[in-house]
Amino acid sequence: MKKALFLGALLAATPLAAQAAGSSTPLRFVLIPKVVHPWFDKLNTGAHAAADMIAKTTGQKIEIEYRAPQTADVSSQNDIIERAIATHPDGLILDLLDEKGNRATMDEAIEQKIPMTVFDSLPPEGMNITAVGADFCEQGTIAAERLATLIGKKGEVAIMMGVPTAPNHTLRAECEKKVFAKYPEIKVVATGIDNDSIETGQKQASAIMQAHPNLAGWVACDASGPVGIGQAIRESGKAGKVQEVGLDNLNDMLQLIKDGVAESTASSRPEMQGYWAVVSAWQSAMGQKTPKYIDTGIDVITKKSL
Amino acid sequence: MSLETTLPGATPTPPKASSLRTLIARMVANPLGGVIGAMILIFGISCLLSPHFLTSFNMIIIARALAFIGLVTIGQAVLMILGELDLSVGAIGGLAGVVGGMLMVQMGLNPWLSLGLCLLMGAGCGLLNGLLITQLRLHSLVLTIGMAGVYGGANLVATRGVAITGVPHEISFLGRGLVFGLPVPFLILLVCLTIVAFVMMRTPVGRYIYAIGSNPQAAKMLGIRVNAIRVGAFALAGFLSALAGILMVARLGTAQPSIGDTWVLSPIAAAVIGGVATTGGLGSPVGAVFGAVIIGIIEDIIVLFGISPYWQSIVSGGIVVLAISLDSLARHYLNRDAS
Repeated sequence: MKKALFLGALLAATPLAAQAAGSSTPLRFVLIPKVVHPWFDKLNTGAHAAADMIAKTTGQKIEIEYRAPQTADVSSQNDIIERAIATHPDGLILDLLDEKGNRATMDEAIEQKIPMTVFDSLPPEGMNITAVGADFCEQGTIAAERLATLIGKKGEVAIMMGVPTAPNHTLRAECEKKVFAKYPEIKVVATGIDNDSIETGQKQASAIMQAHPNLAGWVACDASGPVGIGQAIRESGKAGKVQEVGLDNLNDMLQLIKDGVAESTASSRPEMQGYWAVVSAWQSAMGQKTPKYIDTGIDVITKKSL
Repeated sequence: MSLETTLPGATPTPPKASSLRTLIARMVANPLGGVIGAMILIFGISCLLSPHFLTSFNMIIIARALAFIGLVTIGQAVLMILGELDLSVGAIGGLAGVVGGMLMVQMGLNPWLSLGLCLLMGAGCGLLNGLLITQLRLHSLVLTIGMAGVYGGANLVATRGVAITGVPHEISFLGRGLVFGLPVPFLILLVCLTIVAFVMMRTPVGRYIYAIGSNPQAAKMLGIRVNAIRVGAFALAGFLSALAGILMVARLGTAQPSIGDTWVLSPIAAAVIGGVATTGGLGSPVGAVFGAVIIGIIEDIIVLFGISPYWQSIVSGGIVVLAISLDSLARHYLNRDAS
């Protein structure tokens, strides 16, 4: 399916790609994630892979400028987007912290006729911009359903919220709660807040496990939290007794699965999001129409599939 | 320490010497000389190195970004001159923003009335900080760390971390509008700076603030109402932070719970770069805002030059240290010559 989509994209852009072949001027895309974070580093890797592929296939060189805000704050991100607009790039690839809060800045990009692609988020209402990503709710639902099955659909569970102000983290938590609410014998006894920090996640998870010695399992809402949970489970010697289904595919998370501390993780494929975001941005820069939404799907990674 | 030696503009006359020394002396003798010199230098280098820097679009970006941090910086600078610090200014700004959003959107209150109430609330938060510090004789640094948690927590309790959307369009020009080509928040900053600078330089209250910052015991013996001035300064800082928070809501069109998260350290750094002494009694809000301009330009060129995000803190921190060091070295150079 993905290959077919890419071939379609390639064919659509072929006439312009042919023109681009031999063009010495590289296209310059500015990639702005939500914050400095290893998950976005993986995405950046995927973005560069797409740039390499396009250069090899069409001869069109693409430069990816990665500009990550130091904090996950809308105004900081808007400042970076505005400054990127000032450099007149050929495309902006954005992970919006809040589509409404980012809207005024995106309007400026439209005024300057700079094409945009968003990833891991949705564009503001009424803006005809391609979005690349996975369904956050589906991701949380997959993780929660998997944990429910693991614990026999009964027992005490805890949810590690990510950053309370991050819409995607909040959405995952809501969807996880909905899943647990379906099972009358499952009780959500605690919710921690890790602020997307492994250290905070570890502290919160340790405290919650002490307060709830009968805790049967954990789910999380961001990439760092489940790593902290896994470390807390390991330290307390409860590996195997307390189940964990993680989120995303940071290397630490994968190691926890290898070590048998976490059973699995529902990963949103950051590399693929970066890859398709660049493909879409390239097509937009070539004046081609792009799809409204590219769903990169969710992987369930287990010890077997590693 | 005598009162006279601490007042702005009362710095010693520079020694007459060689042209280089004279230039340095003039810059250092002027309380704003060092920071303005550093700003011009960084501005000039940026113009030379990036074709995108000196464009009207980019200047508007810098001016608008400066406005929010500049307002907080003014309040923090007054407190620092007084020998105090408020680490809850960012949390007050964030709380004011979400309270404004709740009043306008969830309670349907008139936007202008909501803005007024938020400013009062911000001043009230600052007032509370000041009263707790003066009445319980607490250290401002410690107390405001705690109060930052209280105000930040209240923000999360009120919003549950979710942004308040649907802010009325009537107020959006406060954050997004341009008047004579200048962003409205920047013009508001200029008005506030002018008023505060006038109070600091031309009124007894301003002189009292410098006196308290230099020597609170001596100021008390002179009959200055030290505690009242301190409480007032905290209220001012709270008011300006709330103003910045509300303007940010107008800019974003949503009341984000994360507003103000980055307003804690930058205003202190700006004030120090701008010549405000961390020990109190020296500097001016104008210098502090020039310090904020330097930080704003650095943040701008980091993006324009394409510096890796992992190097950004090192680069911006390094330039700040360099600017402060150059100022200190220049003063040392002159003092050595004078002695």
